[in-house]
Amino acid sequence: MQDRYHHEMSSRVSLIAAEQAPVSARHLFADGDPGPLVASWAQVPELLDTALPFVGMILGASSLSVRYKELAILRTSALMQCRFCVNAHTEVAVDVGLSESEIRALRGELPLAEAFTATTEVALLRWIDAVAGGRGSVAQDIADAFTGQFADFEVVELTMLIGATLMLNRYASALQLPNGADSIDRLQRLGYDTGLLGVFA
Amino acid sequence: MTAVREAMESGAISRRMWFYANYHCNLECSYCLTESSPRAPRRQLDHRLMKSLTRQAADLGFEEVGVTGGETFLDLALPATLAEMSESVPVIVLTNGTLFVGDRLDRLAPMLGHEISMQISLDSADPDLNDMARGPENFAKVVDAIPRLIEAGHHVRVASTGQAPDDASQEALCVLHRSLGIPDEDHVVRPIVRRGRGATIDGSIPAGPDELFPELTITADGAFWSPFAPTVFNDQVDTDLLVSRTVDPLSLPVQRLIALAQGRPTGSDVANNIR
Ligand code: SF4
Repeated sequence: MQDRYHHEMSSRVSLIAAEQAPVSARHLFADGDPGPLVASWAQVPELLDTALPFVGMILGASSLSVRYKELAILRTSALMQCRFCVNAHTEVAVDVGLSESEIRALRGELPLAEAFTATTEVALLRWIDAVAGGRGSVAQDIADAFTGQFADFEVVELTMLIGATLMLNRYASALQLPNGADSIDRLQRLGYDTGLLGVFA
Repeated sequence: MTAVREAMESGAISRRMWFYANYHCNLECSYCLTESSPRAPRRQLDHRLMKSLTRQAADLGFEEVGVTGGETFLDLALPATLAEMSESVPVIVLTNGTLFVGDRLDRLAPMLGHEISMQISLDSADPDLNDMARGPENFAKVVDAIPRLIEAGHHVRVASTGQAPDDASQEALCVLHRSLGIPDEDHVVRPIVRRGRGATIDGSIPAGPDELFPELTITADGAFWSPFAPTVFNDQVDTDLLVSRTVDPLSLPVQRLIALAQGRPTGSDVANNIR
């Protein structure tokens, strides 16, 4: 196993190293470690070829603001207690300018109301909590508040984003994908708990 | 013409497809690509799958199927499966040739009358040199088996693996195979490839996508670029030349191999003689 990862828990599958990357995936390893998602998907090259553009489209640049996307990803990941995704997206949230109280609230370490007051974001966060944390249909008042703030195409994108994050959360948690050692060091220097997941844990 | 036939016509991919029937072996050769031995995991391909994929291969335009291992004939059911496969396309089966004693030769009877060639490994006319790589008594068993197989009605070829031999050694080997009933056109010479146990052998030649002709190879671990690709090193199957884990329907790995192979300069592998 490579030293580049933080090994409090080790991955339950081999993460493909650059020299073993299948021909069709070599370009993804050309600039160094592509991360454990790609390194595990590379076990199944045809799956990688499909999953990567799908995830890239949903999690990457789109019509939605980076801020909204990170609210959805970090909050969903915290609700799912996915250590890998919470750590990875706490770092992204820092990088895209979310405040520490916002990040801690999304992680479940503070009440959401202490950090988020804008009507649009409150509606979005209630939608995320209902979709990612609930079962069955979403309550009408939560849906009305959300769809009242966002256009249909945004509703579609945000809900797909929450759904894709749920999928990745379960994948990363079940397979115990490790975060990069550098990321863990950085988060710990910033005072974030990289092992426990706030009140949801 | 279909895209697959076009790819074959243009030389982008081989008209032959391979199966790794199994990975275990009664021998333990020093240069074995697959770290095969009696202790190696079998990782056998299901015979129904091999038969179904052979029919699919024929429909897609493949003109020949190869079956390798491990020692293929450790599986006693293989002859009947090969016979059935050969009803779709001609079959070549690779074997170390050491198992055909007593009634093991009679067990090959289902193959008779079918388009099946057996390719047997024999590396040197010098028994000691041959056995140094392939194990004690290997030379004696092989030179005993070949004439008996031919006499029984099987088509036999000989494959010699090793460092480039000097002219005298090469000539001695050719004299030997001719004396065993193998004509020159049925003798192939292959270098030691720097994969599997060959990875640590001085003088072995590199074998990546630039050196290996794309020749779809199906194993229990998925579809690979070439029969030199699904190698084993330190008990791990190499994935650098993995094309797909999906093998059925066969069209999926075939299409992926074509996509990977297209645009690649042709002929670069010929110099290395590792087709
Ligand atoms: S080279 Fe062939 S005969 Fe030798 S150990 Fe490997 S599979 Fe067996």
